[in-house]
Amino acid sequence: MTSPLFWVSVLTLAFIYASVTMVLNVEAGWGGMWDLGVVGLMAVGAYTYGITTANDEGLTTKFQPGWPIWLGILAAMAVTGIVAFLIGLPALRLRREYFLITTFAFAEVFRQLAVIQADITNGTVGFNRLQRPFESVVSGSNYNYVLLLIAVLVAALVFALTFAISRSPYGRALRSMRDNEAAVLSVGIGVSRLRLQTFVMAGVVLGGIAPVYLWWTRSLVPQLFIPDFTFVAWTALVIGGMGSRVGPFLGAIFLITFTELVRLVDVPPEQIKLLIGFQPIAIGLLLILVLRFRPEGLFPERNAFGSRSRAAEIS
Amino acid sequence: MTSLLSASGIRKSFGGIVALNDVTLEVQKSKITALIGPNGAGKTTLFNVLTGFDTSDSGEITFDGERSDHLAAWKIAQLGVVRTFQTPVGFPTMSVWENLVVAGSNTKWNTPVAAVFQRARARQEEKRISAKAAELLDDLGLASLIDSRLEELSAGDRKLVEFARQLMCEPRLLLLDEPAAGVNPEHMNRLSDLIRQIHDSGIGVLVIDHNLSFVLEVADYVYVLANGEVISEGTPAQVSEDPTVRSVYLGVS
Repeated sequence: MTSPLFWVSVLTLAFIYASVTMVLNVEAGWGGMWDLGVVGLMAVGAYTYGITTANDEGLTTKFQPGWPIWLGILAAMAVTGIVAFLIGLPALRLRREYFLITTFAFAEVFRQLAVIQADITNGTVGFNRLQRPFESVVSGSNYNYVLLLIAVLVAALVFALTFAISRSPYGRALRSMRDNEAAVLSVGIGVSRLRLQTFVMAGVVLGGIAPVYLWWTRSLVPQLFIPDFTFVAWTALVIGGMGSRVGPFLGAIFLITFTELVRLVDVPPEQIKLLIGFQPIAIGLLLILVLRFRPEGLFPERNAFGSRSRAAEIS
Repeated sequence: MTSLLSASGIRKSFGGIVALNDVTLEVQKSKITALIGPNGAGKTTLFNVLTGFDTSDSGEITFDGERSDHLAAWKIAQLGVVRTFQTPVGFPTMSVWENLVVAGSNTKWNTPVAAVFQRARARQEEKRISAKAAELLDDLGLASLIDSRLEELSAGDRKLVEFARQLMCEPRLLLLDEPAAGVNPEHMNRLSDLIRQIHDSGIGVLVIDHNLSFVLEVADYVYVLANGEVISEGTPAQVSEDPTVRSVYLGVS
């Protein structure tokens, strides 16, 4: 069970989650927008990619443009950005838990739509032959290494993006908005514009991560987009340290590898269900421990900004 | 006589409670103007209305000759009408330096696109803003706190940082909400000097306070608000002699 391929697969998933968690950190950690609909935007991106690139004779869905992979990815980013804009317009008028409930509801509605609109999404059967890049070049189990490389590259790109944001006037405006909305308005910064831009940016980036996630799962079904996905990303964020630069990335890598380790426990086949059931318990336990002993996460924000960043930027 | 800000016939009620009833006032650039009145008189409500943090039920507000009511708070701030808050919370998790730089930055940089593609230019402008922030903090005697997180500062220092932050916006009119509240009486002189300094640099000033001696010392023109109405106005000397003010405000009959 502990073949290298197992670890390659786990790490690929970990890097995908790390990318998602870093996006969430910009929204929630710095912008104070508690988005519980991350998986909804992932689903929009995934379905856009799956539908536009579908290349399967057996499919009976209505819309099959059969686009190439790169175009499918661009479409996923664009459509998810647009959907984020449309959801953001009403939802961003709300704050904290109200925003959280709305985004959560959106994600659930979208998943139900994916089930019901079977003439476009192929319902619960979904898409099982997805186009994956470089598959014609690298075949068989070696493909897993390609996928890991892609996931690492995407995570590196997202990290570079969030790092640039953290050192920019935009990032600072986000954190000040989170700290004190009235004060931020009083210095002439339009909060609604800032929030909407951030939400759309999150949509575009999540739309780009979604195809990579599909390449890893190898099938596109509504069941992929249950709220658990969002909760895992949030847990990774809280464990890693909300608002920190490296925390969300490391938190996700740590959380995913830790919970996948559970699978390595040898149990008789009849108890396998029990073992799977232990996974959320492990996540919860980890979360409780971190909140008890390091409430600001493993890598707190206070170490990330402030004096040192000023010294670096002034010189 | 040019008035920088003028408000006329401002009414505001919350449910059945009339907070502001036909309030009319003017702030001239040449005079430090003060608004005094007992707690609950409607001072802060008026401030909120003037700065767009709240909307009035009726009435007109003009800033520098142009209507400013119905504008969003951040737009009014961009026009140059900048307020402070009674409780100077600021941006608690950010350093004093960051608190100032946020306010001083041009808002056109506040986009994800600029964060990625215009880093060099934003960084360059930041140096200028940074130098200004350092100078301002130096003036206020806060230079040593530049790297501290705002929440670690004493209430008095936070108040000064609030001043400095709002000055970074290059206001044309500064509205100070109870600047003297919570300030050590020994530092009161320093505070009124500071307000005069701000005013001398060409910025209009409107001060709310209920500390009468402080207001009478610093202001050139005073409005007295009680139960949502302006009951008196004039120079500090005129107002302090006004029998209505004495009875309502000072509790002296």
